[in-house]
Amino acid sequence: MTRSDVHLVNRLTYGVRPVDLERVRELGEAGYLDWQLAPEAIPDPEVDAFLERHPVLGADVAGIRRALDDDHADVVKQVLWAKLFRAVSSERQLHEKMVDFWTDHFNVPGPDRVPEKVVDDRDVARAHGLGRFHDLLLASARSPAMLLYLDNASSHRDHPNQNYARELLELHTLGVDGGYTERDVAEVARCFTGWTLREGWRGDMVFDRSMHDEGEKEVLGRRIAAGRGIEDGLEVLDVLATHPSTARFLAFKLCRRFVADDPPPGLVADVAASFRASDGDLRATLRTLFTSNGFRESRGQKLRRPFEAVAAMLRALSPAVEVHDYWAVHYVLELMGHVPYAWFPPDGYPGVAGAWLNANGLLHRWNAAMVLAHAHDGWTDGAVTVDLEAVVPAADTAGDLVDATWRRLLGDPIDAATRATLLTAVGAGGAGQRVTPTARRERLAQLVGLVLASPAFHLT
Amino acid sequence: MPRRVVPPVAPTAASGCHEYRSLDRRGTSRRAFLRSVAGGGALLLTRSLFPSLPFVAFAQAPRAVDTLVVVFLRGGMDALAAVVPVGEGAALYDHRRATAIPERAVLDLDGFFGFHPALAPLHEIYRAGRVAVVHAAGSPDPSRSHFDAMEYMERGTPGVRITGTGWLARHLESVPWTNDSPFRAVAMGTMLPSSLQGPDAGLALPSLEEFRLHVPDHERDRLEGGLRKLYAHAPGELPLAREAERLFATMRDLRTVAADRPDPRPGAAYPDTSFGYALRQVAQLIKADVGLEVACVDLGGWDTHEGQGGVDGPMADLLRELAAGLAAFHHDVEDRSERLTVVTMSEFGRMLVENGSEGTDHGRGGSMWVMGGGVQGGVHADWPGLHPDALDDGDLAITTDFRDVLSEILLQRLQNPAVERVFPGYRARYRGIVRPGAV
Repeated sequence: MTRSDVHLVNRLTYGVRPVDLERVRELGEAGYLDWQLAPEAIPDPEVDAFLERHPVLGADVAGIRRALDDDHADVVKQVLWAKLFRAVSSERQLHEKMVDFWTDHFNVPGPDRVPEKVVDDRDVARAHGLGRFHDLLLASARSPAMLLYLDNASSHRDHPNQNYARELLELHTLGVDGGYTERDVAEVARCFTGWTLREGWRGDMVFDRSMHDEGEKEVLGRRIAAGRGIEDGLEVLDVLATHPSTARFLAFKLCRRFVADDPPPGLVADVAASFRASDGDLRATLRTLFTSNGFRESRGQKLRRPFEAVAAMLRALSPAVEVHDYWAVHYVLELMGHVPYAWFPPDGYPGVAGAWLNANGLLHRWNAAMVLAHAHDGWTDGAVTVDLEAVVPAADTAGDLVDATWRRLLGDPIDAATRATLLTAVGAGGAGQRVTPTARRERLAQLVGLVLASPAFHLT
Repeated sequence: MPRRVVPPVAPTAASGCHEYRSLDRRGTSRRAFLRSVAGGGALLLTRSLFPSLPFVAFAQAPRAVDTLVVVFLRGGMDALAAVVPVGEGAALYDHRRATAIPERAVLDLDGFFGFHPALAPLHEIYRAGRVAVVHAAGSPDPSRSHFDAMEYMERGTPGVRITGTGWLARHLESVPWTNDSPFRAVAMGTMLPSSLQGPDAGLALPSLEEFRLHVPDHERDRLEGGLRKLYAHAPGELPLAREAERLFATMRDLRTVAADRPDPRPGAAYPDTSFGYALRQVAQLIKADVGLEVACVDLGGWDTHEGQGGVDGPMADLLRELAAGLAAFHHDVEDRSERLTVVTMSEFGRMLVENGSEGTDHGRGGSMWVMGGGVQGGVHADWPGLHPDALDDGDLAITTDFRDVLSEILLQRLQNPAVERVFPGYRARYRGIVRPGAV
């Protein structure tokens, strides 16, 4: 049975490492949670250095567009790699997981609108991911990427476009059963007419009164007065952010992401109550979630999604692993269908195991593990380098080596049946067999590959 | 990170689809089939090759069904240069210079249209009555974004972003039979296309050989054995054990298919490219009778904004590769051509007016080709013409919705009457592009 500290770290981060368990020892589980819930107070030197090496990630829309004109593929690579790099190396792990959560929740595909997407990532998910939901919602509504993707930028009072209004209600706030009608969708669309972008310039959002429907509207039984401008949309966002259905819907999604695919209804209700009581404060909401019994009892119930599995493998092997060519890792994500920012519909990448558990999904996970483990034999063509000797501690016997590898990569002690399986799989004579340096070198890659491919690694 | 087992050319150039379906033509019901399997009846000779495949799960369709191969030409193929409306005269040639295909060079189709000369191998098959050329076809959504247009086409709901499944996935889900073969839907390439997005994901195969555990050969058996044991005892409620077993069975059977390498039929000269390689492997899957129903193959590179070329040039090279591949495939599986339909599609066509870089920009009307024993050969076009009044925002207008072509294939060749589930909210018009399959 997984230890509670390992469980906590595996859910708050992209994957447990020995240094994370040391931190939990130092701070206690509650303290560790508090620490992760305040990312602004956590120094993040490796990510800072990465961002300094890749200034395009901090540029504005025009700057990013210029960089794209110069070398499109290179900019795209930087954008994609940044997400993986942060998932693996950021100290603000919970923040990164929340950024990923909101990236799916407020999904906007990247390929056709790279500059806007980069800015959207910064200004929506990154800026407010652990803040107040209302602020996040407003940032998303104003985001040029969202305005373009769901057509609100071209929604006009003569012909309002309902795309954004519909997804705002169905996917972003109330949920499909949240108690709104088709008429509400139409009325919300009217409220958001005029939320657009300046002609020929895709910087910030502007409100264009000439496109706005100033008539009186009714949304969810509430009268929206005539004669106003941007206030209509702002009022709708206020109503939606504080609606009980929103609390329930978000609580469910958060519990699905961090607890189990089918979270206990009682827990969802508690998390929703916390959301409402705190006026949409995501830190308070998450604290309720992560300190609950439901969370504690959910060990082994979540399957790592492909991106998470790859990030976890790289974390498990750190600091002895280095990615020299991002595209090599990208290939694996492509094979598994989990390339960042490439999900086309507005609902974001699926969060349940059933969507990912298939032949492609399994084989490519196993291969990622095996190839990483054999990196020193040239299996990555130098694209990723790993120093396994620096990862797994010394061990005298085969049994000790198996135990040490398992513990080092998973954080948990191994059980007897698994030890026996692994011993056989690497061709060891028996648990007591002494391990020569040659044998260690041969066996380590196979062991590491098996452990990183094992169910225990992919279920958290 | 997996060591790429690269076919002759870079992987991104192309991928392929194959589909194959082996059926009991006696029309037994699923239950009867199960009984006869239990009784040891050898319904399918090739069963012995794949003892691990869950043959008892193969249901039999009441009627014979084509295998469908979908070839997606990524980038937006210039239909006006591939299937040249020579009969338009000045209305075409006034707007094309470097990209013009002169009348004397085209391979005539019906006196009005002609194939680009690079399509010669396909022209031969056309003359044999096995190719239907649909022109002025495409999607009603005006998006000129590759990403959007491809996704709309593959999800089969132009203009609707929220569709979570692909048209092929919905087809497979809505047919009145079941097929548990892991090779039921195969995409030759690294990614499963959106058309196959759905609960029963298809298999994405970069190549038959590559779909296996990437470990040194001398370690393979032991490591596979280790993984099998680890997954057989996987904790929790997820069907990890079941999926792992299925995966091992699939890998084992693919090894047999790959090793069993029937060479292509003499005369089937596949181009030495990823695309050719992918089609060749789909043919292999077909011949191996593994239960393939749908295969997807990609050929990219059609986004010819600059230096497109005319009779010669980059686009001509692509057309040559496409035609050679299709012709080789057609020849390779010719004995099954009565039960095979290949359809090509592209996300949009290209503009009538050549741009300033001797290329063409994103347009509207395109051309879809259907190849197989069941086609009504010839040109099928509700031709709107190239007169300025007839153009759609400067482009060839679309008079045949792509869903018309696909629906007809589904209904007539794949025996799936549920086309309105495959293309929700759309009422297809049937145009006699394919003939009904034999009952």
